[in-house]
Amino acid sequence: MNEFQQLSLAIKLDNQATFDNFYAPTGTPQHLAKMLLQDEGKQYAYVCGSSGTGLSHLMQAVCQQHSTGLNNGAAVYLPLKELCDYPAGQVLEGLESSDLVCLDDLDQVAGREEWQAPLFNFFNRCSESGTRLLITAHTLPDYLEVLLDDLLSRLKSGISLQLMDYKDADLRRLLQHRASGLGLYLSDEVARFLLHRLPRNSHLLMDALEKLDAVSLREQRRLTLPFVKTVLGI
Amino acid sequence: MNLTGGEQLIDESALEGVWADCTKQLSDELPAQQFNTWIRPLRAQLFDAYVDVDLNGAGVPQRVQLVAPNRFIEDWVQNKFLTRIEQLFVQFGAGQCTVAVVSQSEKAPVFKASAAPKGNTARPVLNSVESVAEQQSSSGFAPQETPVIQRIQAPAIITSAAEHSLKSNLNSAFTFDSFVEGKSNQLALAAAQQVAENPGGSYNPLFIYGGVGLGKTHLMHAVGNALRMRKPDAKIVYLHSERFVADMVKALQLKAIDEFKQFYRSVDALLIDDIQFFAGKERSQEEFFHTYNALLERGQQMILTCDRYPKEINGVEERLKSRFGWGLTVAVEPPELETRVAILINKAEQAGIELSRDAAFFIAQRIRSNVRELEGALKRVMAHAQFSGRVIDIDLIRESLKDLLALQDKLVTIDNIQRVVADYYKLKMSDLLSKRRSRSVARPRQIAMALAKDLTNYSLPEIGESFGGRDHTTVLHACRKVKELEATDRDVERDLKNLYRTLSN
Repeated sequence: MNEFQQLSLAIKLDNQATFDNFYAPTGTPQHLAKMLLQDEGKQYAYVCGSSGTGLSHLMQAVCQQHSTGLNNGAAVYLPLKELCDYPAGQVLEGLESSDLVCLDDLDQVAGREEWQAPLFNFFNRCSESGTRLLITAHTLPDYLEVLLDDLLSRLKSGISLQLMDYKDADLRRLLQHRASGLGLYLSDEVARFLLHRLPRNSHLLMDALEKLDAVSLREQRRLTLPFVKTVLGI
Repeated sequence: MNLTGGEQLIDESALEGVWADCTKQLSDELPAQQFNTWIRPLRAQLFDAYVDVDLNGAGVPQRVQLVAPNRFIEDWVQNKFLTRIEQLFVQFGAGQCTVAVVSQSEKAPVFKASAAPKGNTARPVLNSVESVAEQQSSSGFAPQETPVIQRIQAPAIITSAAEHSLKSNLNSAFTFDSFVEGKSNQLALAAAQQVAENPGGSYNPLFIYGGVGLGKTHLMHAVGNALRMRKPDAKIVYLHSERFVADMVKALQLKAIDEFKQFYRSVDALLIDDIQFFAGKERSQEEFFHTYNALLERGQQMILTCDRYPKEINGVEERLKSRFGWGLTVAVEPPELETRVAILINKAEQAGIELSRDAAFFIAQRIRSNVRELEGALKRVMAHAQFSGRVIDIDLIRESLKDLLALQDKLVTIDNIQRVVADYYKLKMSDLLSKRRSRSVARPRQIAMALAKDLTNYSLPEIGESFGGRDHTTVLHACRKVKELEATDRDVERDLKNLYRTLSN
């Protein structure tokens, strides 16, 4: 139980990942991806992007949307980064009976011999049973070093989208958007300061925001520049 | 865990509430990713008919099952979360009940009816056949301790093939009407139509081979659908070779191999996709060999697809390879430009989207590899149009396929074409660019020039310049010569196909 609590602290923001709080300015690939993934009629989609582009958020949001009711719409989310060393056949066995399967971080297994046939077979089984399959990776299928042509061609058979890194202005708005979701006011000045002084990666910025949230709650302080500097030590 | 007692029972609606509270609590305690992976897929259900015994052999009523989608998730939940879940069940007022994690029944094999209740899966004794090794291999967990509760389950009931409705697995969207005919697939289409007209005739088996995504599966389903339309009660079974292997393994595990044989030998038409995946699976090949003979003997139609010519399949017994060729063997080639355009227009029409010929031509010119990828590109364009509310024009296509086109551009530089052609003909780059005019060098050079003209936007003088400073008329001559040879020389035709495929993949 304690272990769970500690873990939850580390990714508190992810727990709230929904489509509603996904920052996707109109016209960006993120916006397109959001609409695509919200559309449950699309049976297979492949979304790629580098770290911090919102992929994980989108995957969590899809699962959240899919399983809104109790026992409704069985959804399975598989973080392949963590499962890549387990036997592929066992990991994927029978999952086509779910309504939705999200395979996150396909690049972790795409070039591995032992995953080729199980992935290919799983893809076929999902097609046959009409299971909605969402795949994410850091790159497009062509760059994945997939060994089995049959698998590669199936990966390329549906809608694929590449998410681009957020621009600075978007990152600032993203920070403010998430801060607002946490009930915090993040001024333009502080947001710009964070962007200038921290790595411009949304994950790391969100980590910082989370830390600020926890301390500001504990100390009942607003996010002023001096407070932020002290808490983050920058 | 055994929460003994069993006096205070919970009903379905109470369970629903308790499980909702449990999952809410777990979603607060666990990282979202872990929650989505391990907890969200679980379904809670009451299960009374399922009988457990403890190690002393005493009966324990089992009340609640958490059904995981597979054994892997079942094991994981069992090892890492069950204790906490049980605590939460008590905390949220489930009273005295037992909680067990089980995996959902695997997809019932084609040859047998699903007899066991959902979520009640026995772990059959494994035999030393294909895929068993995979199933037996460690899931990476620490060895499980002897479980306190041991399951007892009635053996799965195998019904005869006649006792249950047949699942043909045919995709009704794959018909002859929705298949776009072109030079590349004409022969295969004609053969498939013949088989649909006259099943079990001289084209038995029909063996369709070709690269990935060229429509082999579509043709196979089209025959099946046509046969079924003519004779609705015909037993037609389509399956992927993996499924045949999995069914056979399951039959051995369940000691139901006779039912398996009976089933597969009783169908009117058996359609097996991608038989190259039989490679190395000797027991499955053995079983398939007998099924094959039995079906052919009785004049039941078989259709097989493969990614290569029968004789070229590695890891498959010779006797099978030779039998594959007993009927008719036809190839499906990558579609030429006109067919690709027609396919795109046809697919767009099916989706209710208007696609101009120019737009179709633009996509078809760039996506050459296979039909599946062509469709993937079209779906992408259509999604962009749908979500942005724009009409499909060249600008939108460029935008939607930006990364794909960039990749293509990277592949089809003149430099890369020269390298690929030189590699293909085992020449040195310096030879290709030299003044040598011997046929062994001049022909590949001409082919490389023709490819450069076709696949890039460089002008003829620019292409000539890149080939050792040649004149544009030399390039023009090369292009004409290659076009002429493509129509008359089978070797050149094949080489061009291979080179196009390499350069567009």
